[in-house]
Amino acid sequence: MDFSTSLTDKLASKTGSSNSLDSSSKSSSLGSKHGGGENGVLRDTPFSYLDGEEDQDQKNDVTYVCPYRGPVFGALTITNFRLYFRSLPLRDQEPPVVVDVPLGVIARVEKIGGATSRGENSYGIEIFCKDMRNLRFAHKQQNHSRRTVFEKLQTNAFPLSYSGRLFAFAHAAANSVNGSGGWNGWAVFEPLAELRRLGVPNDMWRATKLNECYAICDSYPAVWAVPKAASDDFLRRVAQFRSRCRLPVLSWMNPRTQATITRCSQPLVGVGGKRNSDDEAYLSFIMEANAQSDKLTIMDARPSANAIANKAKGGGYESEDAYKNVEINFLDIHNIHVMRESLRKVKEACFPTTDDSKWQTAIDNTLWLKHIRCILAGAVRIVDKVETMSTSVVVHCSDGWDRTAQLTALSMLLLDPYYRTVRGFEVLIEKEWLSFGHKFQQRVGHGDNKHSDADRSPVFLQFIDSVWQVSQQFHNAFEFNEHFLITIVDHLYSCRFGTFLCNTEAERVAEDLKHKTTSLWTHINSSLDQYLNPLFPSFTHGAELVLRPIASVRSVRLWKGLYCRWNPGLCAPQHGCQRTRELLSKQDQLFRHVNELRLKSNNRSNNMQTTTRLASPMH
Amino acid sequence: MATGGAGGGGLGGLGGAGSAGNADHHKRNTFTSYVAPLPGDMRATADTNEWCLPSDLRDVHLAKPRLLQGEQIVASAPAYMYSSIDPMDSGSGSSSSPADGKSHKEATFGLLSVTNFKLAFVPLHAKRNPAAPLGDLYQENAYLGRNEITLNNIDHIYTIAELGRAASALQAARGMASHGMASHGSRRKKLEPFKQQNISGRIAALHIVCKNFRLLKFAFQQQDSKMFGASDQGKLIASALVRFAYPMRHDLSFAYAHKEQYYSTLGASGTSMYATKNDWARELIRCGATEWQVVSSASVQLLQNPLQAGKYTVPPHFVIPKSCGVDRFLDLSRAFCDSRAAFWVYSYGGSAALVRLAELQPAAQQDTKSENVMLELVRKCDVGRQLNLLQLTDRLPNIQDVLRAYQKLRRLCTPETPEKFMLQDDKYLGLLEKTNWLFYVSLCLRYASEAAATLRSGVTCVLQESNGRDLCCVISSLAQLLLDPHFRTIDGFQSLVQKEWVALEHPFQRRLGHVYPAQPAGGNAELLESEQSPVFLLYLDCVWQLLQQFTDEFEFTQTYLTTLWDACFMPIFDTFQFDTQAQRLKAVRDSQLVLRPVWDWGEQFSDKDKMFFSNPLYQRQRGDLGAQAAAAAHRRSLAVGSKGAHGTGLGSTPSRNTINPQLFATASSVPQDRFLQPAHRIFDLQVWDQCYYRWLPVLDIRGGGQPQVDLFHRLLLSNIAKVQRCIEFQNFDDLPEAFYEATGESRPNQQRDEKPDKEDEAEFVDGVERRRKTTTKAATPTNGLNSVSGNLQLSTLSSFFPFGNPIAGDAPHQLYDILSSSSELLMETSSFLDKSSIV
Repeated sequence: MDFSTSLTDKLASKTGSSNSLDSSSKSSSLGSKHGGGENGVLRDTPFSYLDGEEDQDQKNDVTYVCPYRGPVFGALTITNFRLYFRSLPLRDQEPPVVVDVPLGVIARVEKIGGATSRGENSYGIEIFCKDMRNLRFAHKQQNHSRRTVFEKLQTNAFPLSYSGRLFAFAHAAANSVNGSGGWNGWAVFEPLAELRRLGVPNDMWRATKLNECYAICDSYPAVWAVPKAASDDFLRRVAQFRSRCRLPVLSWMNPRTQATITRCSQPLVGVGGKRNSDDEAYLSFIMEANAQSDKLTIMDARPSANAIANKAKGGGYESEDAYKNVEINFLDIHNIHVMRESLRKVKEACFPTTDDSKWQTAIDNTLWLKHIRCILAGAVRIVDKVETMSTSVVVHCSDGWDRTAQLTALSMLLLDPYYRTVRGFEVLIEKEWLSFGHKFQQRVGHGDNKHSDADRSPVFLQFIDSVWQVSQQFHNAFEFNEHFLITIVDHLYSCRFGTFLCNTEAERVAEDLKHKTTSLWTHINSSLDQYLNPLFPSFTHGAELVLRPIASVRSVRLWKGLYCRWNPGLCAPQHGCQRTRELLSKQDQLFRHVNELRLKSNNRSNNMQTTTRLASPMH
Repeated sequence: MATGGAGGGGLGGLGGAGSAGNADHHKRNTFTSYVAPLPGDMRATADTNEWCLPSDLRDVHLAKPRLLQGEQIVASAPAYMYSSIDPMDSGSGSSSSPADGKSHKEATFGLLSVTNFKLAFVPLHAKRNPAAPLGDLYQENAYLGRNEITLNNIDHIYTIAELGRAASALQAARGMASHGMASHGSRRKKLEPFKQQNISGRIAALHIVCKNFRLLKFAFQQQDSKMFGASDQGKLIASALVRFAYPMRHDLSFAYAHKEQYYSTLGASGTSMYATKNDWARELIRCGATEWQVVSSASVQLLQNPLQAGKYTVPPHFVIPKSCGVDRFLDLSRAFCDSRAAFWVYSYGGSAALVRLAELQPAAQQDTKSENVMLELVRKCDVGRQLNLLQLTDRLPNIQDVLRAYQKLRRLCTPETPEKFMLQDDKYLGLLEKTNWLFYVSLCLRYASEAAATLRSGVTCVLQESNGRDLCCVISSLAQLLLDPHFRTIDGFQSLVQKEWVALEHPFQRRLGHVYPAQPAGGNAELLESEQSPVFLLYLDCVWQLLQQFTDEFEFTQTYLTTLWDACFMPIFDTFQFDTQAQRLKAVRDSQLVLRPVWDWGEQFSDKDKMFFSNPLYQRQRGDLGAQAAAAAHRRSLAVGSKGAHGTGLGSTPSRNTINPQLFATASSVPQDRFLQPAHRIFDLQVWDQCYYRWLPVLDIRGGGQPQVDLFHRLLLSNIAKVQRCIEFQNFDDLPEAFYEATGESRPNQQRDEKPDKEDEAEFVDGVERRRKTTTKAATPTNGLNSVSGNLQLSTLSSFFPFGNPIAGDAPHQLYDILSSSSELLMETSSFLDKSSIV
């Protein structure tokens, strides 16, 4: 009997995900979508407040100028976490228009119209969001409601510019009882455990806490894996020759071949072509740590012209003359400014409406897919080197925290199936993005009103997009689904969780985020079912553990589920996995049935004859 | 020898060594080629990736293609075949030459033969891996090998002239001539039909562009012109192709030479051919159309009068309003193009009819009286006396537009060089938009939806187009697919093609370019092509889009649709060979043509390949059993097994057959609750990658794409079928692997030492290494067909499966097993399985 219940549990946990995804999977993980407002909420408290969420302002006579339904009249609420608008129902049948936006998503708030504006709805506020939409609210001039709304939005959406704190702190402080079933997302990533998983330490590599106080490199993690041959002093010297002291450190190792991926920043070669014997020796240590190959490949993510131009600023790239047995490749990925501009064009093409007859050209002109293709192609080249040629690869760009993170994380995802599980993907983000100092604070601009800051760029978003592209080519290779990725993107901006706050591990430790905020992974892992891909079970049997996606614009698509999700007309309902779930549950139901039958017949035969013939059917 | 150069390194020496022998056997070939060959059974089994040194060119003649009854070799020549383009290995996009080192891999040496049926390339020393018959997994046609195409399939032939001493044929074949120099265009020359004279100069290579998006590239060995003056092997092949690939009369097609008897196995199938009056009558009954009558030309005196019959071009059977006499109808029809006055094709909800109508003849266009009378007659058949006239000419592209779009699209799908591929890739979406192909698909879906909506609202819809035989077929068929679940079954779909395209005479012969009519002197090529237009492909693409949007509504798969497009160029099957029924009958009468419907798929494919035609996600019975309102909920409850209620005897489902005798009353038996409303914006459409990209290995996602998902669904079905069988027989020895995995139990006939390994896998922390271990373990040998030990390992497929290139390391046995047991649920072969529980 014990056996049968354990089976039931297992099956239940496997199929538990069955129908939970139906309704809101496409739109947003934040529940902020147009039209679908009736989540059984009362009229007085139109949404359920999060822990620590407090009302800041409420206005009852605001018009939301919906780009799809036209202007709708309703009530606007602003809390320290969100902006919430709900239209007053004119007719009973029609669902109210609901806008539910975390303030973290807001990039810019502007007043439109002045005392002299004429015309309906020309006086109000326009809100520009980081998640590809703009919102426009019209106020009545006479009742002066606009000013307080504007002020409250400014202070609550950009707390850092108004000496406030991000909502994540208030949220965690109020949520003192950790009610997430024991899951602590901060514990997902244990640097030493992850290194052990990869087989470090071993004969050639060691783990070191040299940077424990972030003294050698303030944007690197505390724990590094480095070649055994390099002593601590030696590492200090090498760091001096790398931009911002970001010396080559292990990202991933193939446990079978010992071929590695290491990451760093550009060498400080400069115009004069400076050389550094320590750096040269260090790279040869990395090469020698891999017995399978007598070469080392350097993947410089930049276009070669940019790499050369960087010499003028003291940077540059490794010359094949100075570094023995080294081959350098340029991957042609453009810088953060180009990407920001590209995404701006995507927004232009997708929001608020699309022009169907010019749709393809419009997307082509954004160059977004070309950039994605470049990143995929770069990752595939790294995979080829590491997997097919068993050659170790060193990846860098200029500073080694943007394009480098994209490339290492993506190629690791392709190489190692562990990173394609929910837990593994969380580890991957914690490791390659957070611990190695991708400047989330700068790139996203959390709680900061400098909307035109040149440091902002959708680098991480581009990585998530690339992952989505791979998942579209290999439908069954990922444990998680599209909803999981969208949720990550939403909370990249929302400032509800501490995960994506600050720029470096050092800052995070200083802010004590682990104790003062909640991790996004706590939130996700406590309701895992909705993020699971029902096709994944088939992958664990798959022969191909290494994915080689096709990096061609022909095979790369615009992620409509993310970029076009605010347009209710564009998101065709997808029932793709419904049938899969039905078949899975049917199969499991039959399995359970068989199991019962077998137990019954076993019991019967046990009763009838003491020899258990059926239990060991050797024939 | 002038070979060599970049990339020719591996081949440079070969020509020299082999040139003497080459010439020797070349003569032999010329000598033997016109002699009727032995009915060979040497099956061409080519591994395109196999590179073999043609060290002994004398062996080339051994690589003869397998010939069909009535097939003859016209010309043969040793040649190198090239894969379309190399897999991309540079992500940088810069034109780094892919020449060095890799080039030897892409070429295969063998014998290229032109027969009166096909162009066949047989590699020399084709090796077959005895351990794993990889090719078996991929679609295999009984008439064509992997490296063979029918002459019918050939659209354009380009010759690449010799480029002087420095360049080699090999470069030419790879398209390396386009080093950015202007010489490219002038060197690559299109061969026009009927212009033998333009095959001048030495031909170093041939590019052959097929109607099914395949690009074949062959290079020929250079010969020393001093020794063998005019004998140019490229020229030999090219002139044979020009003569045989562009027949001027249809009776020159291979179909007439192939006299093999045909024994139909279609008897049991539900495909209605619409070849008899009864077929139409049955459709009228099924639709509950009471105001319409079937007319057979054979029983109309006027049409039997040889003097009169010439004035009319009506099909053998057609359906017209009951209120209108045949003679009156025929009288009215003379005002319309091709005599196509209102033909009924379908009724929805009993009264609203779908009608196809041609436009008035240009001469009669001043006088719209006939048209008005005709529409009035149609209107009277509608209960509500309503009618919506949908003029397609203004709304949809004409056939030339469709052809142009197709040609542009094909250019995007057949890049000759990696450089071209990357160039296209850089502005791909813009180029795609410029083809207009998806725009036309979008228009077709849009107006088909409009027509379907008209019928759903109970109003008769009349589709009008110049001759009523081209885009009428597309819109009419699509509208019916949207409305009627019957047409979404394989039999229903085939019946629909028979009805709309074959019986009502879409001019396949002209549209598909089966015949190149003799040109008037000075006629230009554009005129020649003006009748060609892949309207049928446009339709198939629209259906494919529906498949993408409604994954569980269609019994057939995209593989079926792709195969159907390929089948258009199989002259052996008459379905897509004629413009009119009269033409077809004449061919049978005058030339004893053997009629062989393409729907008899067993003629071309094995059972295994036919299984890939059925969609593992298809839900046959949705809504049929339950009340309409509860349809959705019902579906879910059905999925949770209602075995007891239905019993195991209820094998076949009533909705399957065309006619249910109980419904012979006037009521329509078409369910009204299963209509589809597709999205039709370009935004919602995709490129049909399986059909258009399958010849581009660079786009093949190994182990990814839809086929892998399909395989998983087949595995689920297979598991369900197996467990049901176990329950049925109360025998639990042969449970599927997934059962043991779900229970964590080890398979009884296995050693206990599997256990610890399982636990290791559960230990997530050291994932990589452990996982690797378990998967290598999964490759342990299989014992027998049904009981597979070790972890179940799903095959890794090409994303173009069952097209594309086979992948090494497949596990065919398991795939067969999954296939056969899953199709027990999909097809209706099994009597005891509880299908009702999963439909």
